[in-house]
Amino acid sequence: MIRNYLKIAWRNLLRNKGFSLINIAGLAIGMASAILILLWIQNEISYDQFHTKKDRLYVMYNRSVFDGKLWCWQSTPKIMGPTMKMSYSQVEETSRINQATFLFTVGEKHLTVRGAFTDPGFLTMFSFPLINGDSKTALKNTQTVVITEKLSKKLFGNDNAMGKTVKIDSNAYFTVTGVMKDQPNNTRFQDFEYFMPWSYMKKIGWDENNWGNNSVQTYVLLKPGVTETAANKAFLNITRTHSDIKDIDQFVHPISKWRLYSKFENGKITGGRIEIVRLFSVIAIFILLIACINFMNLSTARSEKRAREVGIRKVVGAQKGSLVGQFLGESIIISLISGIIALVVVQLSLKGFNALTDKELFIPYSSLFFWLISLGFVLFTGIVAGSYPAFYLSSYRPVKVLKGTFKAAHALVTPRKVLVILQFTFAIALIICTIIIQRQINHAQQRDLGYNKNNLAYVFMTGEVEKHYTAIKNEMLASNAVTAVTKTSAPMTEGWSDSWDYSWKGKNTTEKLDFDIYNTDGDFVKTMGLKLVTGRDIDLKAFPSDSTAMILNEAAVKTMGFKNAIGQIVKGQGRDWHVVGVIKDFILSSPYEPVKQMVIQGPSGWFNVIHFKLNDNASTENNLKKIEAVFKKYNPDYPFEYNFIDEAYSKKFRDEQRIGTLAALFAGLTIVISCLGLFALAAYMAENRIKEIGVRKVLGASVSGLAVLLSKDFLKLVLISFAIASPIAWWAMHKWLQDYTYRVSISWWIFAITGIISMAIAVATVSFQALRAARANPVKNLRTE
Amino acid sequence: MIKITDLQKYYRTEEVETVALNNVSLEVKEGEFVAIMGPSGCGKSTLLNILGLLDDPDEGSYLFNDIEVAKFNERKRSDLRKHNIGFVFQSFNLIDELTVYENVELPLIYTKVSATERKKRVEEVLEKMQIMHRRNHFPQQLSGGQQQRVAVARAVVNNPKLILADEPTGNLDSSNGNEVMQLLTELNEAGTTIVMVTHSEHDSRYTHRIIRMLDGQTVTENILV
Repeated sequence: MIRNYLKIAWRNLLRNKGFSLINIAGLAIGMASAILILLWIQNEISYDQFHTKKDRLYVMYNRSVFDGKLWCWQSTPKIMGPTMKMSYSQVEETSRINQATFLFTVGEKHLTVRGAFTDPGFLTMFSFPLINGDSKTALKNTQTVVITEKLSKKLFGNDNAMGKTVKIDSNAYFTVTGVMKDQPNNTRFQDFEYFMPWSYMKKIGWDENNWGNNSVQTYVLLKPGVTETAANKAFLNITRTHSDIKDIDQFVHPISKWRLYSKFENGKITGGRIEIVRLFSVIAIFILLIACINFMNLSTARSEKRAREVGIRKVVGAQKGSLVGQFLGESIIISLISGIIALVVVQLSLKGFNALTDKELFIPYSSLFFWLISLGFVLFTGIVAGSYPAFYLSSYRPVKVLKGTFKAAHALVTPRKVLVILQFTFAIALIICTIIIQRQINHAQQRDLGYNKNNLAYVFMTGEVEKHYTAIKNEMLASNAVTAVTKTSAPMTEGWSDSWDYSWKGKNTTEKLDFDIYNTDGDFVKTMGLKLVTGRDIDLKAFPSDSTAMILNEAAVKTMGFKNAIGQIVKGQGRDWHVVGVIKDFILSSPYEPVKQMVIQGPSGWFNVIHFKLNDNASTENNLKKIEAVFKKYNPDYPFEYNFIDEAYSKKFRDEQRIGTLAALFAGLTIVISCLGLFALAAYMAENRIKEIGVRKVLGASVSGLAVLLSKDFLKLVLISFAIASPIAWWAMHKWLQDYTYRVSISWWIFAITGIISMAIAVATVSFQALRAARANPVKNLRTE
Repeated sequence: MIKITDLQKYYRTEEVETVALNNVSLEVKEGEFVAIMGPSGCGKSTLLNILGLLDDPDEGSYLFNDIEVAKFNERKRSDLRKHNIGFVFQSFNLIDELTVYENVELPLIYTKVSATERKKRVEEVLEKMQIMHRRNHFPQQLSGGQQQRVAVARAVVNNPKLILADEPTGNLDSSNGNEVMQLLTELNEAGTTIVMVTHSEHDSRYTHRIIRMLDGQTVTENILV
């Protein structure tokens, strides 16, 4: 019996090639999309879930009130970790992470490598196994380093790295005491290529015991049996107990929530990436559902043809159950073929999808679990897609279908219409969302960022650069490759530092106000192309007292309440700064948020970065060549690595652009699948109404009139979908935009355009069939009875 | 074998109720070959469908081999049908996607006959119907007469006690029609009871008895043999 079903299913597929193609293509696209999204979701929810001690691992958080709101943040004082390990019985182990990028040199190989300083406990707390070396002792000694397999390959090729020496920066030599298995693609630590012991930080004077300086992450392994609640109770007052800072709480954040639940609002977790995971899950389900709907629609549309078969089978003895089985079997076969095609499609598109989502997803072919899930997925899809046709078709009364009194077109109208509406509602909603997301991105991109990012570049100060800064600056200017140079604390696109430790005349002392901090040695306004409102740039040559000069942005002037800011004294960071200028606000971090109050401190601050404005009148290539020569002269050991501010700035839109591209992609796919279905439906509709068309034509109907008649019904469905989709899309986007202070308004014309586009697509899809049917010779049509 | 008494069947739409069968009573004995005749719409096909358990009567009694089947549910009817009744239709009703062999095999599959037994019986009956050489063809590749022979083969492959034929020659030319009537006669002579709906006086002459119907009622019976 099963063989008979398979045979019929297979021959049906071959006989109706167009139908099969549309069905399988639609289902395969839907399944491929769903698989890609599922791989992505699987990666997201598995983040850091592979650590064997995950039930006891936490990261420390601080919580305090600023600007009237409760804020939570994850950077802690360096001293917190050791203090907890020593004084709190709930703690089994702690380790801190302080990111650092160094130049690694082995022989003639120079590599800039990102990694971290950490405590020896790190390798035993987390499950990052060493291929060579002992996790317990690898970071015990000061000048040792644990490197990843990948870095080992880069530095030593296929040689065993253990015991070999690596030069770090220009002056320190480290022994490799461990080679770590490369981190999987689902951990927050995956960017680190090396780990160095904290004791080295101590040795070079980077460690300190200041409870007010929050600059590293502190990870805690609790003793077995200690609950989160108990830990929070015990840790609430760590800072209060050990320092004179009295207004900061501590709490732990469990490893299970790091990835997906890390958005805090007013001290409470309100979500995080889980929202995107949920959104994508919904999209995956809908795309698959839409593909299944195609299958249901096409199968039931063909019911008139299949009905006879059902009738005959029933007459010769088939019972409903066996027919349900047969039709389900057919849809499972189609689902299986689609599944195989989908897997190929996924494999082919994975690279692009990875680039789009910034991930390294792969299909786990060797995992039994994966194949079981896939089989379940195929069965599920086959059953969902096949259930309605199966139960519908198998319920025919043989008397009716065999005597020809059966008319499928009328009997089926309602459910099929509902399914088409469902498809187009989703497609139209996605189109509207795509347009709004794109507009929001454009809106933010067009926002005046307050400085001139063109031809503005920066380098990090490495090696000898700091020592020779004046000479480098002068030679760059003399070479005419640049028109201005300034030394700063951070790249222009990143806020690295902030503090509430500022006071001025007239400050309300009970209020805690947080300022962004930026440092410059001078020529700041000139280099960046900022707009001065009053006063002047910082210029140590012309004004020797400018080593403690300060520039404020307009937001800071407003916060501080200065009527005339110039000449005011602002105390902070252990100095008395005098204000020499006020600039218009510029965007430091998020282009979607209002600019925060900011202090720009003069040459007494600290510095990490050199910014320079390239000469607009020479080619960038030539300019960079000259600049490189200068850096090579003073800092020969280090590669010359530069960054352009406009590129760095455009990265701020990456997340939104990613969501925008994905929304566009899924909208496109949904439209394609829906239209495939619509196309086939229109074909069957034309077939079913062939006699009507013939009669109408004989009575004098025109081709265009008939085409309109045949298309009208479908357009009505699309219109209804549009009416349902619009408020849904509006609501979703309204909610999404609430996350952005600087946001676009949702205007009516977006909906109008989407309405027109979707109608046009539907017309294009349906009219082909409608015209073909209307053009046919009526005599031929009428003979078909 | 068949005894129906005061059978009633209505068709209802929203506005009209049509009486398809009005107090029909008749009996068919085992081994008989009966023709039902009458103008279009007189209820003969409805009667045949009820006899074949494809449709159920609204009122009245239907004894099939002395068992009351008028109120049987779908499952029981299907069971009775597949073991006892074979159908031949005017439009052949073969499944286009199956070959001649597979079409004939179908009833045996549903009655769970073993594969070797199936092969034997299908080949036997194809031989008998003289279409063995067409066993691997699909229905569209055959002439009308050949298709109807396949349909008859399918109807008899399960050795049913009763064959119901609904205008079996309606779509055939006269020579093919005669061939099919010859086949049915042979089957009847071998012991199968046959009830046939027909418009053709010529075909009715092959039968033992003609039941004439008009407006849902039996009007006359002519006994030919």
